[in-house]
Amino acid sequence: MSPVVSAEGVTKRFGRVTALDNVSFELTDNTIHGLLGRNGAGKTTLMQLLTGQHFATAGRLTVFGQRPYENAQVLDRICFIKESQTYPQAFAVRHALEAARLLFANWDEAFAAELVEDFQLPLRRSVRKLSRGMLSALGVTIGLASRAPLTLFDEPYLGLDAAARHIFYDRLITDYAEHPRTVVLSTHLIDEVSNLIERVLLIDRGRLLLDQSAESLRTEYVTVSGPAASVDRLAGTGEQLHREQLGNMARVTVRRPLDAAERDRAASLGLELTPVSLQELMVRMTTRGSGRDSGATVKEGAR
Amino acid sequence: MNRVLAVTRMQLVNWPVTLGWPWGILMASFLANLAIFWSIADTTDQPQSTGAVMSIYIVLLVGYGQVITQFFPFALGLGVTRRAFYAATLLLLVAESLLYGVLLYLCRLLEAATGGWGLSLRFFALPFLVDDNPVAQILIYAVPFTVLGAIGMCSALVFKRWGVNGLFVLGFATIVLGGGAIAWVSWQRHWAAIGHWFADQSALTLFAGWPVPLTLVLAGIGYLTIRRATA
Repeated sequence: MSPVVSAEGVTKRFGRVTALDNVSFELTDNTIHGLLGRNGAGKTTLMQLLTGQHFATAGRLTVFGQRPYENAQVLDRICFIKESQTYPQAFAVRHALEAARLLFANWDEAFAAELVEDFQLPLRRSVRKLSRGMLSALGVTIGLASRAPLTLFDEPYLGLDAAARHIFYDRLITDYAEHPRTVVLSTHLIDEVSNLIERVLLIDRGRLLLDQSAESLRTEYVTVSGPAASVDRLAGTGEQLHREQLGNMARVTVRRPLDAAERDRAASLGLELTPVSLQELMVRMTTRGSGRDSGATVKEGAR
Repeated sequence: MNRVLAVTRMQLVNWPVTLGWPWGILMASFLANLAIFWSIADTTDQPQSTGAVMSIYIVLLVGYGQVITQFFPFALGLGVTRRAFYAATLLLLVAESLLYGVLLYLCRLLEAATGGWGLSLRFFALPFLVDDNPVAQILIYAVPFTVLGAIGMCSALVFKRWGVNGLFVLGFATIVLGGGAIAWVSWQRHWAAIGHWFADQSALTLFAGWPVPLTLVLAGIGYLTIRRATA
């Protein structure tokens, strides 16, 4: 599979603020990528660089093999739906859809009509009178029906209720199966999308902390709890993300792929193994070293 | 080119509003003027003029500012290049200006046919704006639209690229340069010469000749500004 996006040492500074710091990664063809990180981590900046809306301070960034800035051959294939997507004030919902139909070669009118039905979007209502949730539903509808080879959703569902979010996930996964494309989804609702995401990119303070498949993350990290001495014996030299200790009982989240034999041993030691959710992993990785903990002992893992 | 046309069409998806505002405001000011001059018609026999046709030019200036503040970010998100967006907007401006020029010319003909709306009122055929050649008359109406549209676009682009501070700097520079020029002309007592120069120009050169290079310069400045503008 060829990379749709290739970034080498990409850095973006706004004055004295470094929004992205020497970031390198590739986005593969026909994959759903989760772009995760805390507020201000640099997710939106990265998406703006990918879509040629901002300009990298340093580094090399190619999309579909070419530089994206002012490149019609690249940008024609991109749809970018932002968190606070705005529309011309004179537009009603149907005008926004009509505009998207004019601009996207792969636009699917029937699919758009289904989504409008699903989200109960009022076609003739002015965008100024749409609720926050309906504006998000309109953005999601355009993003999905555009079938752009590279579709970016930046926190696309502000104000969308849980039912509507699930319609979005269901529609995305079904349509993606029939029309594979490259999707980048940035979100705070990580648990909701963890089954959707095939590859995870985690950025924190402008640096890329993780870039690997969601599948391998699930097997690589584990939370071990039980008697402290046994926990430490099993966790061994694995990189500890988080540690809570109460008396002689410990609970440690550690980077430690375990094979079947090790799992048996854990059971015989009276240890409980629980998988680490994507959300927990993101929280642990991005709050390390921030000096805060909930009264428990936090220990930096041995490297 | 197809992309540019698609973007132009995108800007016109709600064309009744795009065209409705300028002409709605013009009609409102026209009716207000008719009422005013009808109410004072018995006090004078002289033909009356009013400059209220200016209103449509102002609405167009504001409208092209909004094209930049509202359509530009929207189009960028939908994968349109700045170049294509700018070309499409200029195309729209030229087409709209010509259409409005023709419509204003037709209004002028109607005004002449009805004896100034029965009131000897010159609303469309302002004395300094008239030319007997239809093509010249249409251009006299049309070209100033392109200047005002370009001013609206450039101001909005300064705002898009440099924010409110950019607008303050622009305003400051305009006042310093404009004020300086006025002071210099007054000091050198050039006002009479300038007045003569304007009086010597035909309506065609004044409204359809000199504004052309002005529009081109503004369009060039706008292009350089939009190249690095962000949504």
